[in-house]
Amino acid sequence: MRDRLLRALERACGVDDWRLRHVTLSSTQYYLARREPENRRSARSERLELEVYNDHPAAAGGAMSRGSASVTLLPGEEAAADERVGQAVFMASLADNPPFGLPGPAVYPQVLTADRMLEIDPAGVARELAEQLAAAVDREPGVSLASAEFFVDREEVTFENSRGAHGQAAFTSLLVDLVLLARDDEGHETESHVEVRRRALEEVDLPGLVHRQAQFARDGLRAGEPGTGRFPVLITDDALRQVFGTETFSPLALRSGARFKFQGLTPWEIGASVYDGAEPTGDPLTVYANAVLPWGLASAPFDDDGVPATRLLIIEHGVLRHFWAPQRYAEYLKLPPTGAFGNLEVLPGSMAVADMWQGLGPLYHIVAFSSMMPDPVTGNFVGEIRLGYERRGNELRPVKGGSVSGNLFTDLAAARFSRETVMLGDYLGPQAVRFRELTVSGK
Amino acid sequence: MSIRVLPPELEAIRGRLPELVAGLEARAPYAAILATSTSALQVSVNNREQQVSEGPRSQGAVVTAWNGAYLQERAVGSLALDALATATHTLAQELELQPGPAPEPGAPRDEHLAMPAQVDPASRTARDKLDLCRRYHQAVRGLDPHIVNAAISYSEVAEAKVFANRTRLLSQTVYRIRFQVALFVSDGQKVQRDWLSRDGTGGLEIAQASDEELHALAEEAVALLRAGRIEPGFYDLVFDPSVSGVMAHEAFGHGVETDMFVKGRAKAAEYLGKRVGSPLVNLLDDPTVPGAYGSYRFDDEGQIAAPTTILREGVFVQGLTDLFSALKLGIPRTANGRRQGYDRKAYARMSNTFFAPGTTPVDELIGSVERGVYLRKTSSGMEDPKGWGVQVEAHIGEEIVNGRRTGRLFSPVGITGYVPDILASVSAVGNDLALDGGTCGKGWKEWVPVASGGPHLRLKARLG
Repeated sequence: MRDRLLRALERACGVDDWRLRHVTLSSTQYYLARREPENRRSARSERLELEVYNDHPAAAGGAMSRGSASVTLLPGEEAAADERVGQAVFMASLADNPPFGLPGPAVYPQVLTADRMLEIDPAGVARELAEQLAAAVDREPGVSLASAEFFVDREEVTFENSRGAHGQAAFTSLLVDLVLLARDDEGHETESHVEVRRRALEEVDLPGLVHRQAQFARDGLRAGEPGTGRFPVLITDDALRQVFGTETFSPLALRSGARFKFQGLTPWEIGASVYDGAEPTGDPLTVYANAVLPWGLASAPFDDDGVPATRLLIIEHGVLRHFWAPQRYAEYLKLPPTGAFGNLEVLPGSMAVADMWQGLGPLYHIVAFSSMMPDPVTGNFVGEIRLGYERRGNELRPVKGGSVSGNLFTDLAAARFSRETVMLGDYLGPQAVRFRELTVSGK
Repeated sequence: MSIRVLPPELEAIRGRLPELVAGLEARAPYAAILATSTSALQVSVNNREQQVSEGPRSQGAVVTAWNGAYLQERAVGSLALDALATATHTLAQELELQPGPAPEPGAPRDEHLAMPAQVDPASRTARDKLDLCRRYHQAVRGLDPHIVNAAISYSEVAEAKVFANRTRLLSQTVYRIRFQVALFVSDGQKVQRDWLSRDGTGGLEIAQASDEELHALAEEAVALLRAGRIEPGFYDLVFDPSVSGVMAHEAFGHGVETDMFVKGRAKAAEYLGKRVGSPLVNLLDDPTVPGAYGSYRFDDEGQIAAPTTILREGVFVQGLTDLFSALKLGIPRTANGRRQGYDRKAYARMSNTFFAPGTTPVDELIGSVERGVYLRKTSSGMEDPKGWGVQVEAHIGEEIVNGRRTGRLFSPVGITGYVPDILASVSAVGNDLALDGGTCGKGWKEWVPVASGGPHLRLKARLG
């Protein structure tokens, strides 16, 4: 299929550059409803993703422009290679954008992205995890299994472009979606739900995860509503990743991206504060865009264009140092290309987690939000508390319901970061972040 | 007009699927095949860039067999008959047969079911769709000096499916269209955004907005630069149809997906036949709503689309099923067995979920609020089927004083509460109805196109 497509690219008129990704994916999936199997399945797919670049005079003004368009070739479509390339050229010829290039050959870093343990016997891994899960749940009083899903995936990507860049990478991932139920003597029930995705088997501590989620489920049974007002708020566990964002949606990543800058959507400037006017009074915020983090979900030796992966300082002590920039936007803004953002790495602070609530009045410690997606444009956020704790000295009261709201960029100016760190798939950083004061809406 | 054509790659295998099913049923008590072909086009224009490109595209099939106790499946990213035959053969070998009841295949049907469209997207070129976006971009980019970027986007997804089991051979083609005008405004210090969306199943007739709507969008985007944060507390509220819809979807829709009943994850399971809301509240899930974004003619398990009344006058009367949960619970199937793609399993999922309209004119509904907030445009929401908590985020809240909107805005506004309390607090239901399209996940994955909506509602809830 690849050879047919390359020949079609050679023959076609209007192909000024191209890039090609050959992607194969296999997925082994195992589902439990309560303790019984609900579904057992496997899936395989393969595709060629082609991006074609066409240079032409702009419709308005006639300046030389570049357009690009992607098409996908699926198994069995080899005979349609010429037609598909023609469609891509036509679409690319319609869009008038400032010219930009593609990266040439490069030496790509070695990055840990594929775990042999998941590659050898994915179905066996899924079965073994299911057995581990059952044993771990048996050890937890007052808790039962509602459902579990295990996805063991492997993806292989071969990349090449018209400038001679060429690379190959394999990725594995293990997804565990787990729901536990806790029940009290009066028949009240609550659930705790978590989804964990990691690149390597050793990155998933299933017994530890079950123990933590079982405790959350039991605490949910006696949780009350939070108070209303402005309070210090400590964020840990899944709530932390929700606030900082995921591999595809991180406000810090979007705001520091050359594309956002090019489109006029970020007010950030190199050498200036990232706190949107707030005075820094907390631990200094230092952030790296890390595309080479071992087992990082957003790690890869090269990005979609073929720019080598790197670990780039983005924010240092609350000041923007670099915009991360794919090839196109690097050229537009005359910056060095840095490739994709990768994983979010935040440097730790100096406080121990256990000290973060000491000496404070009521503090809300949130371990899970129902949903939390800070607006990357404004930084505003609001999220319902799925589970948290009200801490008053040594008193600890579980809470749920109500909401926590604030502004990520201004509130980070007064945040403290724990010295202990945690790896959450696409986040490496402090295990706990304490915001000095956020708005809590409760009873 | 109707879009009737099945893509050639599906037309070529449509008639051959029943024999593959028959071969698998030589071992399995029940078997089925779903073959899908999806293609997409994405067009965008903003102040700095333009893009015309194919969107995510896939072709593949999933072979399903019931082994007496649960479903076993093989999915392949190919529509070649030999690949399907191999998957079927392999699955037959893998079956772990057990005694147990088998699903009913349904009454015999062999037909192609199409969705209507006024302007078939296939009758217009990519250039036409780019020109459409350019025209809207030209119309909005200069509407206010605060606008720093105007982004117009158009996307179409052509979704074709063939389902076969022992008695059924069904096919359908659906176009899902989304069109959005987004404005980014700045006062030199901060940046805000607002948007206008159109979506549905149908054709290019969906992608349009009036000059009045574009001017109103620009005014509201600029006004949002002055928006503050709401003081936390309980308020008298008026929801617009967008907020009503997400409340319907998150508050009660997810909680009545009956795969959650099988897993013990749904509080609603204890409330069948019981009151959970005000007698003014009627809630439906209906994949047959003409032109709605979440519409289809049959679900991914071959059940013909039909409306389901979930709440009738505040009483929970029926949940939404997939094949597995209907069989396990011994309840009638509804047409809600849906997959993210051929490579993912089916779950019980919503389609178009909405509160039914009432009788109160919208002006009267707002006019009856002495002091409260008018909430518009939902930006996100999340379900809690076991705890019956709910979170909905509205992009805009506007103060109401003495029955009048004051123009004082808040953004964003979080709405939280306990589902029965919120539903019981509904004190008036508007006589309007509108649905918005979106993408719905099960937890944090398994995305499917849906719509949600309803009339304006007057109620009480906690804001933060």
